[in-house]
Amino acid sequence: MKKMFGTAAFAAAMAVSGSAFAFQCAVSEASMDKPGGFPERALTMIVPYGPAGGSGQVAAAMAEAVTELTGVAINRDHKPGGSGTVGMTAYMAAPADGYNVLEHIDDASSAHALDSSLPNPAEDLIPLVVSQVTFSQVYIRSNEDRFTDWPSFVEWVKAQGGRATIANVSKEGSMERVTMRFITDATGMEIQQISFDKGAPRYGALLGGQVDALFEQPGDVRNFLDAGQFKPILTIFDERPGVFSDVPTHREMGMEFDPLLRFRGFYVHKDAPADRVEWLQWAFQRGYCEDSYQAYNESKFMNVIDSYRDTDGAKDLITRSISQYRDVYKAMGLDVK
Amino acid sequence: MIENFLAGSSALFGDPVTIAIFVFGVIGGMLFGAIPGVSMLTLAAILLPFTAGLTPAQGVMLFAVIYCTGTYGGAITAILFNIPGAPENAPTAFDGYPMTQQGKSGKAVGAAVLCSAIGGVSSALIMMAATEPLAQWAIRNIGPPEIFALVFFGLAVASSVGARTIWKGWMSVLIGLLIATIGQDPVGGINRYNFGVGDLAAGIAFVPAILGFFAVSEIFVQAERKAGGTYKAPKVSMSFPTFLELWMHKFAVLRSILVGFFCGILPGIGATLAAFMGYGEAVRWSKDKESFGKGNLEGVISSETANNAATGAAMIPLLALGLPGGALTAMMVAVFQMHDLQPGPLVFYTSPDLIWVVFAAMFYANLSILIIGLVETKTILNLLKIPFQFLAPLILMLATIGAYISRGLVLDVMVMFIAGILGYLLRRSGFSIPGIVLGLILGQIGEQNFAQGMQMVHYDLGTYFSRPICAILIAAGAVTLFANIYRAFAPAAQPR
Repeated sequence: MKKMFGTAAFAAAMAVSGSAFAFQCAVSEASMDKPGGFPERALTMIVPYGPAGGSGQVAAAMAEAVTELTGVAINRDHKPGGSGTVGMTAYMAAPADGYNVLEHIDDASSAHALDSSLPNPAEDLIPLVVSQVTFSQVYIRSNEDRFTDWPSFVEWVKAQGGRATIANVSKEGSMERVTMRFITDATGMEIQQISFDKGAPRYGALLGGQVDALFEQPGDVRNFLDAGQFKPILTIFDERPGVFSDVPTHREMGMEFDPLLRFRGFYVHKDAPADRVEWLQWAFQRGYCEDSYQAYNESKFMNVIDSYRDTDGAKDLITRSISQYRDVYKAMGLDVK
Repeated sequence: MIENFLAGSSALFGDPVTIAIFVFGVIGGMLFGAIPGVSMLTLAAILLPFTAGLTPAQGVMLFAVIYCTGTYGGAITAILFNIPGAPENAPTAFDGYPMTQQGKSGKAVGAAVLCSAIGGVSSALIMMAATEPLAQWAIRNIGPPEIFALVFFGLAVASSVGARTIWKGWMSVLIGLLIATIGQDPVGGINRYNFGVGDLAAGIAFVPAILGFFAVSEIFVQAERKAGGTYKAPKVSMSFPTFLELWMHKFAVLRSILVGFFCGILPGIGATLAAFMGYGEAVRWSKDKESFGKGNLEGVISSETANNAATGAAMIPLLALGLPGGALTAMMVAVFQMHDLQPGPLVFYTSPDLIWVVFAAMFYANLSILIIGLVETKTILNLLKIPFQFLAPLILMLATIGAYISRGLVLDVMVMFIAGILGYLLRRSGFSIPGIVLGLILGQIGEQNFAQGMQMVHYDLGTYFSRPICAILIAAGAVTLFANIYRAFAPAAQPR
């Protein structure tokens, strides 16, 4: 399986970064001259998701940090729909003058992996910064008495003969669906995935006992973890992050696949003027260092592993992700274009 | 409860800054709710960063107040100009606008004001009394199969609204359901009917479709009458509904409070479903079903009571469980988080003061609808005196801006005009615009929950009936459906 899904070095690098992480701001310059007066008006940030979700919140936090740093206002333009395709289409049609920037998540990489006619975030766009990188976990209710940990969960699921359920966002080719495929292949269990595209019904389904488990990233369910309502039983990452030191990783549970990561970042069109791109890179990378942004990331468990990638690091992350997804899709028999 | 409520009221009105924020929320919500395209969500998104400078109670209270008054605001334009400010006001236009054309705009607006206040205040009171047990009951007993069953139950009466015959009513609903399937399917993410247009992957947005079917098609109809010399300007009526008229609809109000509250309490559903279900139940229980869609006051009463009854209910899963019921309540989560708070069961113990300020503010915001609504109504009704040749371009301009601004897509403007032309042609042929819109909105909600429900019951339709609430709703919907079919073959099915 490991050979099939490749990129072991990528996973190892992620594991190292996860274990050795300590926040360091990579951009030392506290200020930078505006090239030719750019920007002389507000920037527009296209966000391909609604204002209330993870993308909407990270866009707001980064916009606030960049504005604090530079004094330049950023108007957020939410264009939700089609798993991010509507926002991406709108962004690619916007002028490549540096005044328009894009927030997007790893869905853009997986979409390109499945259909190469869609924009490649590492080539058709220039990543300004990736400011959130996180892993997934499997959760159960804290008061669950049918199973209490991963081994007992797997045993219980197998006994249900395919009638056990897990809530996630299981759209075709999504990180969630691919990872669940890894898990079911590795464990031999059969579990019905219930796809909820909005967080509230997804979390409510676990809270209310409509489903047996939940696949999610820790930052998105932090309030349920803090309230003691959800309990993680599996971390899908190569090492145990410090705050989840009592939760086994998938590798420890005998699953030898490379974890797929969720990441969110900010981009500008590749045809934008180079000097403007350079200023935007500085502003967004330095914005990541602002106290307000760091506080936001901490509140979302985004300081648990290294969440920061500059332009080169982001290109590397995206390119490897695309390659990884493409291998996976081919192995799954999907029509990779 | 009363002590807590008084303490919350005291905190709300004991501080001038908090009062100013409350008043701003009341007026801002009404204004942004009334203008198509720029909804209360737009105002909330603008205000979100500024809430960091407020106390947690002020920030959350501001959003709660905007939610109450914004839900009401869209009713006015729906009744006077056939432009629902938001999808949850669309059913109000079904009968509100025909009432305006019949010279009964004052009665429609007065009923909307009063019933929004009644629905909202009742909802706030229930919310104060039983937030935690209701939230726990809802998430344990209502899942996707039940929500689908609820939608099926609501759609079963949709054919009765506004069409020339029952068959055309059903065709209208089916057209709406067909339009609802455009875009990615809600579970697998597979593109359908998007013809390679990327923006269509997100489906047909509610706002441009509603603006097209209601406002634009109406402009075409009126323009045709104007050209043909048969146009009659709506009479401006200042007469509000009498107490007796409203008393006659007391059961409709009560029913809509229950329906609206029930829909609002479900995470991720909210006021839109509440308004449509409230309207649908008014039709179901009426002895004169055919009068709906043609200016029945009960249609306005039911829709506006239900959508405001959903506002207090939507706070229940948010506050008790940390589960936002819609986009605005999701933004409230961000307000909590900005102040290092998390909505959920602990917030009742860690921040009881905040909770009761919010509860009190929602109660008074709904009362404000009554006071401000009645004061402003007579001024607003005078807008009807604007001559058609000036009013029509103004409405078209507002609708175009409204369609574009919600997502910033030219596609949405095109959708609005296509819906307008389609609506105009279908109306001429006796099809029902309310039926199409019911199909479109309930179709999107219903399909998603049907697909999720099928996954939960392992694609065994029979298992749906093993869930009691689901079985009752589907059975009741089926009875209504068969009754409609029976009526279609009876003499009453003749063109009406």
